[in-house]
Amino acid sequence: MKHPLFASVLCLGLGCSLQTTSWAAESATVTQLLAEYQQAGAAEFSVEAGKALWEKSFPTADGKQRSCTACHHLDLSKAGEHVRTGKTIAAMAPNANSKRLTKLKKVRKWLKRNCKWTLGRVCNTQEKGDLLVFLSANQ
Amino acid sequence: MDNNTSAHSSTEPVRIWDLPTRIFHGLWITFFVLAWVFHEDNRYLNIHVFAGYAFLALLLFRLFWGLFGSHYARFRHFFYTPGAVVTYLKCLLSIPQQITGHNPVGAWAIFILLGLGLVVSLSGLITLGAEERQGPLATLFHPATGLLWHEIHEFLSWLMLAVVAAHVSGVIIESILHRENLALAMINGNKQRPASTLGVPRHGKMALLLCISILLGAGFYFGACLPYESGRACQPFLGPKLPDNVLWREECGSCHAIYHPTLLPQRSWVKILDTQHQHFGEDLDLDTDSRNEIHNFLTTYAAETLLTEAAYKILRSIPPETTPLRITETAYWQKKHADISQLIWQSPQVRSRAQCEACHLDAAVGTYEDSAMFIPN
Ligand code: HEC
Ligand code: HEC
Ligand code: HEC
Repeated sequence: MKHPLFASVLCLGLGCSLQTTSWAAESATVTQLLAEYQQAGAAEFSVEAGKALWEKSFPTADGKQRSCTACHHLDLSKAGEHVRTGKTIAAMAPNANSKRLTKLKKVRKWLKRNCKWTLGRVCNTQEKGDLLVFLSANQ
Repeated sequence: MDNNTSAHSSTEPVRIWDLPTRIFHGLWITFFVLAWVFHEDNRYLNIHVFAGYAFLALLLFRLFWGLFGSHYARFRHFFYTPGAVVTYLKCLLSIPQQITGHNPVGAWAIFILLGLGLVVSLSGLITLGAEERQGPLATLFHPATGLLWHEIHEFLSWLMLAVVAAHVSGVIIESILHRENLALAMINGNKQRPASTLGVPRHGKMALLLCISILLGAGFYFGACLPYESGRACQPFLGPKLPDNVLWREECGSCHAIYHPTLLPQRSWVKILDTQHQHFGEDLDLDTDSRNEIHNFLTTYAAETLLTEAAYKILRSIPPETTPLRITETAYWQKKHADISQLIWQSPQVRSRAQCEACHLDAAVGTYEDSAMFIPN
């Protein structure tokens, strides 16, 4: 509870531009990935499509439901909780967590791993692009 | 009050015990009692150990003061042969001898107490190292000898307690026989003596230095808990720094708590990595380089290194023919957590047995200190 308050006070004091620019600079990661996906033949990316995929439930073989929000929060600015282990997973929105979507290898790895777990298959480039523009919309 | 007991007609208070000697005496008793009070419950092991360190530091100071302190505090001054003790005891009832410093019997009690204090402290340090894998002697002694050292430490402490009892009785008996309050003299420093008796300086600065050192030591030791906030768990007692690895921390600490390599034997880690594509229903999907680096780290610092008490005890509790994939399925883990109720496991702060850090403040660094565990409520 203390930290967001503290951060926003700090923000007011310093002018928040500082924080946003630093994420924008590093979000070269997202820009690069989006370019890669487009080169591989994806169409325009849409925040709405990404949001829909983020919230969609996929049934598993044993009749349970899986979705991105099983571990992450529906609200990207809030921390989620890992459905199997209970571990807190930090907020996904870059404006709540400036480390998000900044490491190329990490984003690649988790998009692959989490799509496989949630959808039961890897996501195609279109889906990955939609998800990334959705996740990085609130920077 | 006992002005007339002395053979001389006019007496006055003469300072016999300087301030450092008296402060040593008072603090030594305090830490001896503290160590006794906090020796049973593991959660207060940090207090016990601090009392032990302070006790040893005071003892070392007393040894120094016995060589360089003021007249009556010097060992040379109260060094009596056994013969002198016998003579003193024989005369005790007939013609009480007026001795200004320590009398022969008292002197022997003091040397024995100092000697016992030393071996109690040393055996404590060894127990801390052997059993808890802690302190300056951590990992110097095999953990299998821990229990033995523990028992030796306990025996010596009982012995010392017995000598303390004898010392106190001696002081009482002497005080009655000589009609002179010896305990009071150890508090205010004075005895009623003829004016010609040699008095000693106060040595106030040395006393101040002694007190400040102990306070600084306490501040250093318990500093992590300051400023004190009620309800905030703090871990004053940091263990030795265990090996760490950035890649391992990132790869293996993202879905769940990080489990230090010392918590499972090598063969378990090998199997966990060999089955990385079916990791409890997850696919870890580590590339070859990452896999190799993590493999290397996990097997180098596995439980077999005996770096922590938990490492030794977990390892010992696993039958050699089995290869557990879970820490939570080892006999030692199950025994240690058997008393925790289902309600706590399901509480929102815990949620899963594998959330070690919900109850162990130092889970992330792997030390699993006795003083760092708590049950959230
Ligand atoms: C079973 C739990 C789980 C599910 C379901 C899940 N994730 Fe994740 N996700 C994680 C964990 C754990 C991490 C890594 C820890 C962290 O970064 O906080 C992570 C990290 C990520 C990252 C990397 C973030 C960064 O900082 O670079 C992305 C992107 C991501 N997830 C997207 C998704 C998407 C999209 C879905 C749904 C298709 C999804 N996740 C479903 C557990 C999950
Ligand atoms: C993609 C998510 C994920 C990642 C990454 C991951 N694990 Fe796990 N791990 C799990 C899940 C899920 C469980 C089972 C949790 C449960 O049932 O309580 C588990 C359980 C474990 C357990 C057993 C815990 C117990 O109950 O004692 C160990 C040990 C373990 N993991 C080690 C590792 C190691 C080592 C790594 C890194 C190489 C790793 N994990 C990476 C998801 C993950
Ligand atoms: C619900 C809280 C809780 C959780 C979660 C928990 N522990 Fe514990 N643990 C305790 C308590 C309480 C004790 C003390 C038990 C005792 O001394 O009898 C303990 C004792 C231990 C000890 C023995 C320490 C010693 O020196 O006596 C080890 C090792 C340990 N836990 C490891 C773990 C590991 C590893 C995990 C995660 C896989 C874990 N614990 C999860 C509460 C917990």
